[in-house]
Amino acid sequence: MSLVVAEVTKRFRDITAVDQLSFTVREGALFGFLGPNGAGKTTTMRVILGILKPEEGQVTWKGRPLDRLGPGFYGYLPEERGLYPKMRVAEHLEFLGRIHGLDRTRARREVDRWLERFELGAVRSKRIEELSKGNQQKVQVIGTMLHDPELLILDEPFAGLDPVNAGLLKEVLLEAHGRGKTIIFSSHRMEQVEEICQDIALINLGRLVLHGNLRQIKKAMGRQILRLSLEGNLDFWAKIPGLQLVAERADYLEFKLEDGLDPNRVLAEAMEAGQVIRFELVEPSLDQIFLEKVGAGA
Amino acid sequence: MSVIPVLVKREFTSRVKGTAYILTTLVGVLVFVGLSFLPPLMERLSSTLMPKSIDLVVMDHGAEPSLFPYLVELGQAREGLTIRDASSWDERDAYRLVLDEGLSGLLLIDGPLTTLVTPDSKNVVLNEEIENLVNQAATMWKAAQLGLTPAEMESLFNAVDFRIREVRPQQEDGTEVDHAAQTQAMVLAYFLLFMIYMALIMYGNMVASGVAEEKSSRIMEVMISTVKPLELMFGKIIGVGALGLVQFVIWISTGLAMALMGRTGLMRALLGMTEPLKAVPLDSILWFGLFFLLGYFFYASIFAAAGALVSRVEEVSQVVSLLMMFIVVGFFGAYLSFLNPNSGFAVTASLIPFTAPMVMFARIMLADPPLAQVAASVAIMLCSIVVGTWISSKIYRIGILLYGKRPTLRQVVQLLKG
Repeated sequence: MSLVVAEVTKRFRDITAVDQLSFTVREGALFGFLGPNGAGKTTTMRVILGILKPEEGQVTWKGRPLDRLGPGFYGYLPEERGLYPKMRVAEHLEFLGRIHGLDRTRARREVDRWLERFELGAVRSKRIEELSKGNQQKVQVIGTMLHDPELLILDEPFAGLDPVNAGLLKEVLLEAHGRGKTIIFSSHRMEQVEEICQDIALINLGRLVLHGNLRQIKKAMGRQILRLSLEGNLDFWAKIPGLQLVAERADYLEFKLEDGLDPNRVLAEAMEAGQVIRFELVEPSLDQIFLEKVGAGA
Repeated sequence: MSVIPVLVKREFTSRVKGTAYILTTLVGVLVFVGLSFLPPLMERLSSTLMPKSIDLVVMDHGAEPSLFPYLVELGQAREGLTIRDASSWDERDAYRLVLDEGLSGLLLIDGPLTTLVTPDSKNVVLNEEIENLVNQAATMWKAAQLGLTPAEMESLFNAVDFRIREVRPQQEDGTEVDHAAQTQAMVLAYFLLFMIYMALIMYGNMVASGVAEEKSSRIMEVMISTVKPLELMFGKIIGVGALGLVQFVIWISTGLAMALMGRTGLMRALLGMTEPLKAVPLDSILWFGLFFLLGYFFYASIFAAAGALVSRVEEVSQVVSLLMMFIVVGFFGAYLSFLNPNSGFAVTASLIPFTAPMVMFARIMLADPPLAQVAASVAIMLCSIVVGTWISSKIYRIGILLYGKRPTLRQVVQLLKG
């Protein structure tokens, strides 16, 4: 267990943004940090980064307090992106590398390498303000990764990226993960989290709602999702207690099975009602878990 | 290794290449050169306005004082001045003559009342010149009435030979004060004082808007994840200070070079600096450097805190206006200190951190204030810089994460306590 957030409380005057929050992130994990708007994600990230001092609790990395860590330890991509608009791309990146502790030679080498990787070589001498929004995003991402930080904290990293660049970012994140770096990122896009994260924490109103291995969480949710496609009497399910229609898709119906309802009984009833084309038990998606835990209003 | 040099370098290089910086530097140089040449240019220009010759017709009705003979006397003494007698003429004929021949005017003298009849009453320069002539003639008439000889007359207007000596504790015989040298020192002091004043306002504003820019562009968020707020603040202050120093070295060199070449220009016109500067006043420049830096570091940290309290660059001018008031007060304090550099007012103002950089500098330039007072002023400035920076860094640290409505002064105080 590497990054430990222990009983952290952060208040702004009379508003408690983060309330007795505890969770751990394994070293080398790709960690999804989820929650609706205003849940306290950004505040928690800032506490982890040491930008904000919590009123209670503490954050440690391998047992050490965070203020002992060097300048290159973190890579932070804030949700509100920002660069010096008048600076030139390569100069700006070199500057970001250097404030994160790289020497000049190393910073320049990394800038060249990353610009090539992100296909920004042609704009290296342009001012940031002359770039497209997407390219500015890429520059910002490079600025976060350039110094190869131990701990990457990314606030909504996929927001504003087109599918090609989102794919590129995912690739880069997985590479860093492969080198054993720890990555925490928040996202609204659950399918993205599902695709690349092993561990998640879900918070709401500053409190922890769910935490752990995504697979285990899904298993532990207990309720199974049934996808059924049938030619015949579609009203049969109304007679079965504990079966709840969740969604009517184009080619199948999605049900939720309550605890204690035997799927085989549903199958038997369905076969009586007509020709079963599809009968599939699936785990709930992260989207569904999110909605269930936080509420549809989020 | 500290990141401050990296921050300073970014601040410096990204601005020094900027159009705004290059333009202001160039404009400053042009202004200095231009001002140095302006007064001779003005003189030449005004000489073209002066009438080359004055041609007057005079009708003296003979009542006392009768000025005509004296005007004739003046006309003989002065080149380009023609006086014609028309006393026996008809007034209308005289008018016609003035208009037809394009004369300067007709003087109607009737005892103490003199009227100028002119084809151009708007020609202020010419009409004033004629008025002077009449007054001169009147003085000559009065002198003749009193029976004064020309020599006696001249002695009436001779000024006293007034000199000043200053006694000092170490040098009780009293040294005569070289008036020209004192004027020169004053002009130089005034020039350098104005430079300090400009520098505090210009670079203070640059620091405040720089901080506000970092906040509004949100680059601040990335920076504070790896750089301490105090380092960020110092990086900005030192970087902008270096820019200022470069700019002022260029400007002051230009100004001094002009003065050394004898182009005292505006200084002469405004303050009566007549002789060209003989040598580079090195001690003045060093004192300037010291108080420039003390003043800048004191004000810059406060400007940085002010910049951290706003969310948008547009709001900067609102919060810095109060700080500017302090600088303006300091400037006027120094200006008043010029009149009496050792007054109680000047001594007090040279010990208050907000006014000290300018007032103490002015006093040192003009008088020899006691060493203890100079040391006290510098010590107070240094302490104020430490305390000011400490308080500002706390405001800065809190301010850079605040977005939205600008906090009130009371809220800032509360935040500082918390």
